[in-house]
Amino acid sequence: MKRLCLVCQNVDCKSRGSEQLMKELAKLVAERALTDVEVRPYICFGACQDGPNIVLYPEKSWYAGVKTEDLKDIADRLAGGPDVKRLDKIDSSLKELIYQLLDTGVF
Amino acid sequence: MQGILFPRGVVEEREGLQEYRARGGYTALEKALKGLAPETVIQEITESGLQGRGGAGFPAGKKWAFTRECAEQPHYVVLNGGEDEPGSKKDRLLMENLPHLVMEGVILASYAVGASTAYLYVNSQYNKAKDSMAQALAEAQEAGLVGKKILGSDFNLDILFVAAPPNYVAGEDSAALEVIEQKQPLPRQKPPFPATAGLFGKPTAVNNVETLANVPAIIASGAKWYRSFGTPESPGTMIFSLNDEVNRPGIYELPFGSTLRFLIEERGGGVKGGKSIKAIMPGGPSSAFLPPDKIDIPLDHNSVRAAGSSIGCGVVHIVTEGSCIVEEILRIADFFAAESCGQCPACRMETNTLAVMLKKVQQGQGGQPLLEQFSKVISFNKGKGFCNLINMPGPPIESALRLFRPDFEFHLANGRCPQS
Repeated sequence: MKRLCLVCQNVDCKSRGSEQLMKELAKLVAERALTDVEVRPYICFGACQDGPNIVLYPEKSWYAGVKTEDLKDIADRLAGGPDVKRLDKIDSSLKELIYQLLDTGVF
Repeated sequence: MQGILFPRGVVEEREGLQEYRARGGYTALEKALKGLAPETVIQEITESGLQGRGGAGFPAGKKWAFTRECAEQPHYVVLNGGEDEPGSKKDRLLMENLPHLVMEGVILASYAVGASTAYLYVNSQYNKAKDSMAQALAEAQEAGLVGKKILGSDFNLDILFVAAPPNYVAGEDSAALEVIEQKQPLPRQKPPFPATAGLFGKPTAVNNVETLANVPAIIASGAKWYRSFGTPESPGTMIFSLNDEVNRPGIYELPFGSTLRFLIEERGGGVKGGKSIKAIMPGGPSSAFLPPDKIDIPLDHNSVRAAGSSIGCGVVHIVTEGSCIVEEILRIADFFAAESCGQCPACRMETNTLAVMLKKVQQGQGGQPLLEQFSKVISFNKGKGFCNLINMPGPPIESALRLFRPDFEFHLANGRCPQS
């Protein structure tokens, strides 16, 4: 299975530009020839007030409040670079719920 | 069996002012305006034990007292005729055929809470109901029952119409207030509740159509008489809706405490085609499924709750043997995902995620651990929305998983219904 870069596309994240973020991230992933990574939309992570939200799976890295200027660091992380810790802002109980859902194939 | 709203059975044709008056219509209003203080009217309703019929079952007298006692002025009354519950047609029928009964309830409620303006919030797709109520309003105005100095008293009341958008949340009481204020139908954060801070921030009694239709009989005949129907905890009658699953679909007024079996078999004529029952949802899509061995439970708030479900606004849905519960539940989850207004993040996440999870189960994608996630998603989000919609998918999904787990497991293993 490919590694997933899940970009929330529900109303709130979308209104904060997540559609454009998803396109640009897909471009950066392609530029780095990360053929084992798939950038795809996600229904909702339930952290709308902190959006746009991006989750890497199976890495289980959650990036909140992502801006265009953060995308390069996220793409680098997918290419083996360091975690983007400044975007790790989400409550652990929500993370646990979403990661469990991803573990059971809900994506 | 004598009913309260339909003393001679469900009314098939519109009742005009003269016919309504000929059977004692508007005598309750006359009795109140000529001899009962508003507080006495509220006391009578409180003593009657009348509970809201829109789904929540909140005591009507208590709601009115909250509004009445607020010093803030003016006060308002809203007749909630949004009726967006799938399968429910009771409020439409009351407004279409018994418009003066409903109107008298609205006038009495306004007198009781001290409102000089009432709004009739009617589902925008209910043209016949709107026309019938408009005609009743004109007739009532002409007869001095609405307007200035009603029946020679000092009580004045204006009644206005507002069209209710035909989506599910628009029937929620605070969303109704938003629409009347010419905004989008989005529920408000509560508290404060509409009873104390409602329309334009003022105290507002928002009552369901069926609730207000019960008021004239209570004022005319008294709380004690009303309590001769039903059970001590759920007095009076309730209108139950049966749909196409039975031989005689329709709406039926029964005293609280009548059994589910009586409703389905005696009134509904039994299940179509003589099929056996697999499960029953006694209170619309947000109520938990009951197994068929609960068919003898009395239909009242406490008994249905004790059996593990809720009575809601009385829409009884029957799932017959041979139907797949996963398909049933997926339809319900899709409904709530589509009807979530989207303003609360947790509701948006929960309703969409549950629908996706069920789609995966239906298509056989995922394993047993997926089934364990449902209750986690539901409990994580419980109570995190402005309105109750966030809590609605839980009871049907969790009860289905508890009662019909083999259906879910078959879908996971085979990607299809056990019966197909």
